Amino acid sequence: MAAPLTLLFLLAVTVRAALFNSSLKELISDRVEVVSPLTAWKRVIEGLALLDLGVSPYSGDVFHETPLVIYLFHFVVDYAEVTFMLADLITAGCLYMAVKDYNKQVFRKQKFALEADRYPLDCLELIRSPKEMHYIPLKVAMFYLLNPFTILSCVARSTCCLNNAVIALFILSTIKGNLLLSAVFLSLATYQCLYPLVLVAPALLYLLQHQYIPVNFRRPNFWWLVAQYLFMFGGSLLVVVCLSFFLLGSWDFLSSVYGFILSVPDLTPNIGLFWYFFAEMFEHFRLFFLCVFQINVFFYTIPLSLKLKDHPVFLIFMQLSIISIFKSYPTVGDSALYLSFLPVWTHLHRFLRNIFLVSCLLLASSLLFPVLWHLWIYAGSANSNFYYAITLVFNVAQILLVSDYFYAFLRREHHLTYGLYLKRKDGSEAAMVLK
Amino acid sequence: MGRWSHSQLSMDEGHVTHGGTVTLSNALCSHSQTEMATTEVERRRGQLAALSIAAVVIIVGVPLWWRTTETYRAWLPVSQIKEFATLQLLLSVDVEVVFSRGTVSPEQQKKVPMTQTQDEEHRVDENTALKYRYEIRYRTATIMEEDALKQPTASDADLSLHALSENPCGSLVVYVIPESSSLLSEDVDVYIGQKRTAILRLGAQMRVGRTLEQLLAHLEPRIKKILHMMSFSHTDITAALSDRVRLAPGNRENIVDSMRAFKSSPGYEITFSLLNPDPKSHRLHWDIESAVETYVQPLLTKLAPIANFSIDSQTLYYAMLGVNPRFDISRSSYTLNAESLAHVINPVEARLGSNAASSNPVLNFLLYVPDALHSPLHILDRKKQAVHSNAFHSPRWGGIMVYNVNDVYGPEAVLPVDININMAKVMGVFLAQLRLLLGVQSSSPPPGFVVASCSSTGLADWELDRLMWSRSVENVATATTTITSLAQLLDQIGNIVINDNIAEQVSSAVTSLQLAVAELEAGNLGFALQYSKEAILASERAFFDPSLLHLLYFPDDQKFAIYIPLFLPMCVPILLSLIKIASDARQKRREKQAKKD
Repeated sequence: MAAPLTLLFLLAVTVRAALFNSSLKELISDRVEVVSPLTAWKRVIEGLALLDLGVSPYSGDVFHETPLVIYLFHFVVDYAEVTFMLADLITAGCLYMAVKDYNKQVFRKQKFALEADRYPLDCLELIRSPKEMHYIPLKVAMFYLLNPFTILSCVARSTCCLNNAVIALFILSTIKGNLLLSAVFLSLATYQCLYPLVLVAPALLYLLQHQYIPVNFRRPNFWWLVAQYLFMFGGSLLVVVCLSFFLLGSWDFLSSVYGFILSVPDLTPNIGLFWYFFAEMFEHFRLFFLCVFQINVFFYTIPLSLKLKDHPVFLIFMQLSIISIFKSYPTVGDSALYLSFLPVWTHLHRFLRNIFLVSCLLLASSLLFPVLWHLWIYAGSANSNFYYAITLVFNVAQILLVSDYFYAFLRREHHLTYGLYLKRKDGSEAAMVLK
Repeated sequence: MGRWSHSQLSMDEGHVTHGGTVTLSNALCSHSQTEMATTEVERRRGQLAALSIAAVVIIVGVPLWWRTTETYRAWLPVSQIKEFATLQLLLSVDVEVVFSRGTVSPEQQKKVPMTQTQDEEHRVDENTALKYRYEIRYRTATIMEEDALKQPTASDADLSLHALSENPCGSLVVYVIPESSSLLSEDVDVYIGQKRTAILRLGAQMRVGRTLEQLLAHLEPRIKKILHMMSFSHTDITAALSDRVRLAPGNRENIVDSMRAFKSSPGYEITFSLLNPDPKSHRLHWDIESAVETYVQPLLTKLAPIANFSIDSQTLYYAMLGVNPRFDISRSSYTLNAESLAHVINPVEARLGSNAASSNPVLNFLLYVPDALHSPLHILDRKKQAVHSNAFHSPRWGGIMVYNVNDVYGPEAVLPVDININMAKVMGVFLAQLRLLLGVQSSSPPPGFVVASCSSTGLADWELDRLMWSRSVENVATATTTITSLAQLLDQIGNIVINDNIAEQVSSAVTSLQLAVAELEAGNLGFALQYSKEAILASERAFFDPSLLHLLYFPDDQKFAIYIPLFLPMCVPILLSLIKIASDARQKRREKQAKKD
């Protein structure tokens, strides 16, 4: 498997290097779909310039990245392009290894279940074979590296690539069962953009499962692991935040990064749902809807964790997609991360209901973004409503995609318990009803 | 291997029996137990998930919604504001009556009452009552005052009397001199000084055989008259209440008088504009800066307690009047008659511009130099007579003066001609207009009264007092109406957010109003005006605060439009699942009961 992976890496690097050296680079790095006020490379450069001048990079309202990122680029700013390519390769490599490991476990679990005679007899066609699972890790890496969204964010030098790399490292260390590294990378990801906080739940569920500890509130070893993980997570988060404080010598960054993420003062159009809504919002209701929108991101954690208690990796996928849909400053790079997980769920394809519609919608809206932007901003013949309509379509498509996968996953699990061909008690064919 | 074939077999069976009679294989039977268990687990999970969503919505969402969307209404002193609905103003004036030698006999001197208080009540309308209190103190003149009164002329006496004492703002001193005194000429009874003094000569019938009562009775109406002249008259005060009270259509003259002056405001902008429609023929020079310094500034300095003034000046070229003057052959000049003056201002006003940074009223003073072709230009009054000053004023707007320059240069002069404008002449007119527009009364004194000519400031102290009386009352009236109507509005529309700063302004307005009313009662005119100004500022700031408008046009039915699109789709599944959980629980209980039975 090493050879195709190397080839893939070479191809990805070539494409990126070519784009880096083309005139498209500047064009791409100005696109609102690709960079957000949080991740824009221009703003990082501005922050670096301020830092070099001895001014706090957070003075003014331009720079909103975390202090660690700016200190990272303080050293590697001359190799920024290499850094971003490297980040992408790390993400792809981590995902590759993580999925490979995960597939092994899935297969092992399936074997146990088969041996324990736990599947209904008519479910054989749902059983996954090692042959079809063989290429999934490579496909995941390919989906990430060759996804136009990833390429665009890499070429735009959006720091979203770094966040993705950190999250990929977190996923890898979680799947490997490494408690400490998982907590550290999760705290780094949380430190970077706050929302990955919700990944604590799937990580805990996975690690519990990995150590064969049942989720039982009366068991001390359950609480012991949870406490351990939360302590490591909180501790490393504290260390990172304090480190930032000591680097900068002020707490400016807290309000400038997290306050900026939570209170959404920048209403520059992007592919998210916030900007239009809050531009139109009556001032009186702003705070309320701000809370509603932000709670919305964290809202699904508990019900999803309850429902997907036994499938933490799928839960990670769900949470990642929810974050990238509902976060305050989303970019296409965020979507790229969870989209790269789609090959892992190829076995769900027979249960997907509107995958054709969704892919058409995603494709069309991705193409229409620049068109309507041009019509609105440059030609002046359209207005913000047009652009927002497309962001709505894009997000609805993403939501449809995710809920489709969620439903398909639940349905497959259901079939694995009850048999593929459901019958009522009188023997007539039964239809599935989602409750 | 055996297992695989077995399951394969049963799958085939499943296919065969598809849609037919149910033949459960052994294998499937063995599953039924675990199946039941997993069903139960899945069901519980689904219920828990729905419950957790409902819990988050109820525990976090509802309080959040309540807390963040409540209309914040700070506490307002409503009961105190309601008291202002009925306004009872008491204006008290201190009057000192000084008897000079020869007006009272030594026996009478001892009997003269020290003070006497006279009250006069007027009911303006059902909610507003006015009460005037004159506190008259009697005393005899000191030796120095006697000396001062021995001066040859009244104005000299007036000056030397000022040197003796300083009277506080709002008070008056009346010197009573004997009928035989030569200070005032034959037909003059009262001389009103530049400050707050008046000299009153006793009437001829008071010379002999009078008692003290007769004397005081004789003096009283005359002192009242002086008071009406020098501090306030009932007409002034009712005119000042016009914001609060709908005036009965009285005589026309009064209304015109009361409408001429600008409304009371904490500040005014004064703009002097020189209009030069013909810069090709006239190159005009006006030394506006020193003219303002010499003529206007002393008056404004004196008026400083009333309001702040800011002055600017400009020169406008090619600015024409809106009316074409008519050539009058009999006068060999162009004329503007009184009817057409109304059309002069609007076209010019568009070009004047105004200070955008302030919302204070602007007083415009325009000096118009007619172009060479239309010179000379004269303004005619309604009787078709040329107006001497060649100027007119527009109520609450400003004044326009036409300044003819055609006689300065001959026909052979080289154009453009340099012309220096005589600022003394111009400013004389503008000052008179300014006094009128600011409400400094210059109504003609009643017969027998002589008013001292103005000093260099252009404003006598008592004139300032008069203005301060009416302005205080006007401010109080305006502030009370503003604050009561604001309270009424806020009471009627529950949607308006009342921020702390508004409540603060309202409270300070109420406090200042109470203080102003109290100071008026105590007769401290200066403080009363100060507080009334603060009251009006605070009340206007509260009334016009933009934060009051946010939700004003935001009725309840629009809230549904805000909430429904977002929350209805969210609520339906939650509610449905909750109903399902409830019905499940009920069914379970019923089953249990059935089992028990």
